[in-house]
Amino acid sequence: MSITGRARVKAALNHQETDRVPVGEIGGGYVEEFVRAIIGDAYRTDEDGYFHNHKLLRETLGADIMGARAISPNPDELVGEHPEWGTPVYRNFWGSEVTNPPDSTQQLVKPIAETPEELEKWKPPDWGQFSGDVIARWKRETDFFILATTNAGFDLGYEILGFERFMLWTALEPRVMRGYYEKLIETNIGFAKIAAKAGADAVLIADDLAFNSGPFVDPDYLRRDYFPLLKKQVQTIHDLGLPVIFHSDGDLHMLMDDLLDCGIDGLQSCDPNANMDIPELKQQYGDRLTFMGNIDIDLLAQGTPQEVGRVTRDLIRDARAGGGFILSASNVITKYCKPENVLAMYAAVTEMER
Amino acid sequence: MNAVTFDHISRSVITGATGTIVKQVETLLDDGLTAREILNQGLMAGMSVVGDRFRRNEMFLPQVLLSAQAMKMAVDLLKPKLLDESEEGGNAHGTVVVGTVKGDMHDIGKNLVKIMLSGAGFEVIDLGTNVTEQKFVDSLRQSGAQYVGLSALLSSTMKHMKAVIEAIRREPDLDHVRVIIGGAPVSREFADTIGADGYAPNAASAVDVIKGLEAD
Repeated sequence: MSITGRARVKAALNHQETDRVPVGEIGGGYVEEFVRAIIGDAYRTDEDGYFHNHKLLRETLGADIMGARAISPNPDELVGEHPEWGTPVYRNFWGSEVTNPPDSTQQLVKPIAETPEELEKWKPPDWGQFSGDVIARWKRETDFFILATTNAGFDLGYEILGFERFMLWTALEPRVMRGYYEKLIETNIGFAKIAAKAGADAVLIADDLAFNSGPFVDPDYLRRDYFPLLKKQVQTIHDLGLPVIFHSDGDLHMLMDDLLDCGIDGLQSCDPNANMDIPELKQQYGDRLTFMGNIDIDLLAQGTPQEVGRVTRDLIRDARAGGGFILSASNVITKYCKPENVLAMYAAVTEMER
Repeated sequence: MNAVTFDHISRSVITGATGTIVKQVETLLDDGLTAREILNQGLMAGMSVVGDRFRRNEMFLPQVLLSAQAMKMAVDLLKPKLLDESEEGGNAHGTVVVGTVKGDMHDIGKNLVKIMLSGAGFEVIDLGTNVTEQKFVDSLRQSGAQYVGLSALLSSTMKHMKAVIEAIRREPDLDHVRVIIGGAPVSREFADTIGADGYAPNAASAVDVIKGLEAD
């Protein structure tokens, strides 16, 4: 009897083994260039294209997970053109202005605040106006495990405020920053409520806290001003009946006990370049956490299908015992990942089926 | 007020004491110490501790940014005096051009390198992100910089590092320029493959790598 992707991931989160290790990506998961490369002529550009393309992509790859988020009632507002790149500048629902320069990732053009006073006055969007229809449709029309994407206060916090300003203010304006985290986390709890109502199977909290060499900020600062809020966020999501997978890039060893104390159920990324080795982490924390990762995105970009297949099979062999393991890339599948390598990663999962 | 020492200056850098460092430097100048002594024995000694602690995860990014602010305030005060004291220019070590290569807009790592290098007494010219080969070449020529630091965060853009190195090597008047590379996808093997002179695995080590090249 064949098991659905949804059941497979649920079992892994319950530390049970099934026919094979579950596999899939967080968030949108794959850039559109990659989607097109895999599904070829079946790629659609009409209004319903995204649903069709991403469903077909996951079915082709054998992926078990779909990431979706609550949708703002207002589309991003076009506010001008970037003077240097000539690309359109949009104001998003957070109030920051961003642009997509050619051949790169989104860049912040105007932050939500330039002074601590402005930040104190800043108001997040009204989450009650957001819609869970997209999440509900994925749940209704597919068997994928629906992982609702949300954030917390840190990664999102510096994305819309600017990285250096954010980091400096953690030291200079701790009171203002705590208030800022509270607003962001409150809003993201709202998004999780929408996701739960729409039928999501779990909530992803995406919140980068570290470089490859260690945390951005002093763990003691996080313990005082941040983790108590994150703990409340996780607790509220548990009260909604959903497990929480936490995503952060970087080396999290110094923060592992704190993240466990926050009550998270899973940890995603576990980037091998950041010294995060899943078999090793599983040995230490595997009874309390499910680990999701960690095929190196650079290997997917630069390696060969043979290498990717070997690394994936080795990881599955070393990490699958007792469940608590979901295979994914260590980050979003970007356009520079070779399609044949990603196919080799997913094929290795099926090859290792019991 | 008690006598100010180099140790006080170092500690002000380490703690990011932007409110007191300028006064302390002024006091030492009034006491007859040279700008170079204050830079080397006070400021750079302090920044070296910051770099070490940052590398060991005993000090974190916000505090490093504050240290860099304190350092910058002191260096701005000393700069005209350093120029007076030195025949060969004001910067203690040399000039480094930094930038993120073409097609890549990521600047956090590059900015950290800039902060650490400025803190260590290098003059840093920051070309920003998405920098073309020609822009690197032009800036190196105009500034007479001895070093260039190339950053990339994407596997797809790190190949442009090779193009920058080739463009620099094509210019005979730039044969003194040493190239250092860094960024998340970059490795020592990659640096060797493309003919870079140095590879910095993180921001703090960029200073050591360049100082190592200086000593060659």
